[in-house]
Amino acid sequence: MTTQERRDAKTGYLALSPWMVGFVVFYAFPIIATIYFSFNEWTLAEPPTWVGLDNYVRMFTRDPLFVSSLRATTLFVIISLPTKLVLGLMLALLLNLKIPGMNAFRTIFFIPAVISGVAVSLMWIWFLNPDTGVVNTLLSYFGIRGPLWFWDLHWALPSVAIMSIWKVGGAAIIYLAGLQNIPAHLYEAAEIDGASKWSRFWRITLPLLTPTLFFQLIIELIDAFKIFTEAYVITHGGPLKSTYFFLYYFYEEAFRNANMGYASALALFLLVVILSATVFVVRTSKGWVYYEN
Amino acid sequence: MKLLNGTRILVLVSLLLMLMLSIGSAGAQDTVTLTWWTTSGRDSPEPAIRNVIAAFEAEHPHIKVDVSIMAEGAYNDLMSTAIAAGEGVPDLAWYWSNNWLPQALDITDRLDNDPDISRDIFHTEYFNNWVVWNDMVIALPYDIGANFVMYNKDVFDDEGVPYPTADWTPEDYIEIAKALRNEDKRRWGGDRPRGPFRALWRNMGATNPYSDDSTTVEGYINGPESVAAYTWLWDLVDSGATPTPADLEVLGTEGTGPVDLFIAGRLGMATLNPGSMVSTLEAGVNFGVVPEPRVPGNENWVHGWALRAGIWKNSEHPDEAWEFLKFWNGPPGQRILMEQGLGHFPPIPSLLAEYEHADTEWYQGFLTVLDATQTASWRKDHPCWRGAVIRGVRDAWDLIMLGEIERDEVQATLDAMVEPGQAALDECVPRLGG
Repeated sequence: MTTQERRDAKTGYLALSPWMVGFVVFYAFPIIATIYFSFNEWTLAEPPTWVGLDNYVRMFTRDPLFVSSLRATTLFVIISLPTKLVLGLMLALLLNLKIPGMNAFRTIFFIPAVISGVAVSLMWIWFLNPDTGVVNTLLSYFGIRGPLWFWDLHWALPSVAIMSIWKVGGAAIIYLAGLQNIPAHLYEAAEIDGASKWSRFWRITLPLLTPTLFFQLIIELIDAFKIFTEAYVITHGGPLKSTYFFLYYFYEEAFRNANMGYASALALFLLVVILSATVFVVRTSKGWVYYEN
Repeated sequence: MKLLNGTRILVLVSLLLMLMLSIGSAGAQDTVTLTWWTTSGRDSPEPAIRNVIAAFEAEHPHIKVDVSIMAEGAYNDLMSTAIAAGEGVPDLAWYWSNNWLPQALDITDRLDNDPDISRDIFHTEYFNNWVVWNDMVIALPYDIGANFVMYNKDVFDDEGVPYPTADWTPEDYIEIAKALRNEDKRRWGGDRPRGPFRALWRNMGATNPYSDDSTTVEGYINGPESVAAYTWLWDLVDSGATPTPADLEVLGTEGTGPVDLFIAGRLGMATLNPGSMVSTLEAGVNFGVVPEPRVPGNENWVHGWALRAGIWKNSEHPDEAWEFLKFWNGPPGQRILMEQGLGHFPPIPSLLAEYEHADTEWYQGFLTVLDATQTASWRKDHPCWRGAVIRGVRDAWDLIMLGEIERDEVQATLDAMVEPGQAALDECVPRLGG
């Protein structure tokens, strides 16, 4: 290695060091600590006590709330993830049209993605109020008696999913950036060859958008598994644990039930689930993500 | 000679300065600064907190109190983190969580041997239930509260219904709620209870969700008294005289229950707390206060609470912290807070008698409620009841609230709760005790 190369390497490491320090302090150390605490019983006030695999044995063999929370979270992911991906793409296609006032539309659709989750939750409590809410009032004009939404056993989880999907503008903006990166000459050539709109979408837009779709899939997947705020603010996990999401269960164990050891085990399990799902998506991406270069 | 004089002057001035500095530093060494973490609210507003501290510092010039007043969420995070880390815990703090109690200093001897203060000045129930832990006094109480039923006299008069009295029954509650229900005025008769095995459940004889020795839920969760209490809830929901959970979520103010509906005259009766009492008073509503109803022959229970201030067991200044603690929780501090805080009720009966509305009917009703037996007397020894067991059997509550089961299915529903309830109990007791 030449002197210049060593100097460059030093400069590189120096530039990297703030991120490295942040990673070690705020990510690596907490993850290692969580792994350690997951083998302990810890109520915070007393020192942790080593219990070996007890927390994991309990989780997998005799914890009905673990099963309930995993079921609710998986169901939420299944409902919200594909819906959000498809609607996001459709919205992006609309926002990519060249019509007057498009910047205003883009801003309007993006706003929900940047509003605080708590504020959004409070707003949706009003929207979906069974008696006085906007949605049921509109439905009543068509002679439809709306459901109890958040307070209905069968509608609570879909209501939370609707809230999540309402924030699709964030995804749409990312898609939009992807759409605008597709070279215009490809469309021009296809048009000259007489390709239909659908054919252009299917053979040009979608393939060239797959890297963005791939990115969105991973981000939305992780985000969906971390659903918490709506359960915390609105449903408190009910009714009948229909919205008892995994992170809400983790929160209750850690901060209401003073069970840090078990909560650590739950957190690690969620990490493994998200990591596995992400690795699965990455592994399969070679078959469907198209990179131009 | 002149130089000598100048040198002498310089030496004298230097000596004088050194003397002054040494006096100054001796004074500084004597001054102790205590750290005190708390939160503020309508019952303990920040100016009142600072006024108590100013009054204390005026009496104790060698002690300074460095108070940090924070939002409740931030407070919990900071305390939990400091306690978990074992350092950075303030000399004095609000020990609201039972999990923090092992970190509080045992002040039993100080309290019993200090001529300035005595445990006898405090309300016995509140003192025993909230600051005595493992036979040690680990804090002193302040700002007490309780749940009780408030009734809107104007609504009662409007419907020609007699006011409830302290000896009313759960059946009376449903009948009165039905009589007050007025669809034209979009008014409900009364609200729904917040959860099982609180004071109302005990008033109906369903005392605990599991045995006193914490070994079984069988016969408790699904015992005859519990079935009767849950059936009463079913009847109340079925009456249509109460707002649904959806209505309460939207129309009640966050964290305060249905006080807004009550103040607006859309709810004839509501189970509320002292903070709601003050809000209602400020809104000019004509109201009364009665204990929660009970089945005749059963003991009268109340869900009461007290805030508690304690000294960290590793504080470097326990003597000075004790001086502040007894000032804050004793008559001097509590009087200032009662006079300057809205709805701050001291745990000291002699001070409660000085409250500005002491001669009103509702306040006398409130004082009667405070004297009932507290549910905390059992719960403090059973930390598993809420976090684990009640959560494990929450489904029975939800099913009734949602109208998902018939009246004759209550017993079977509670029988089905035995297994998850027992599992929750068995998991929790070895960890938290009780």
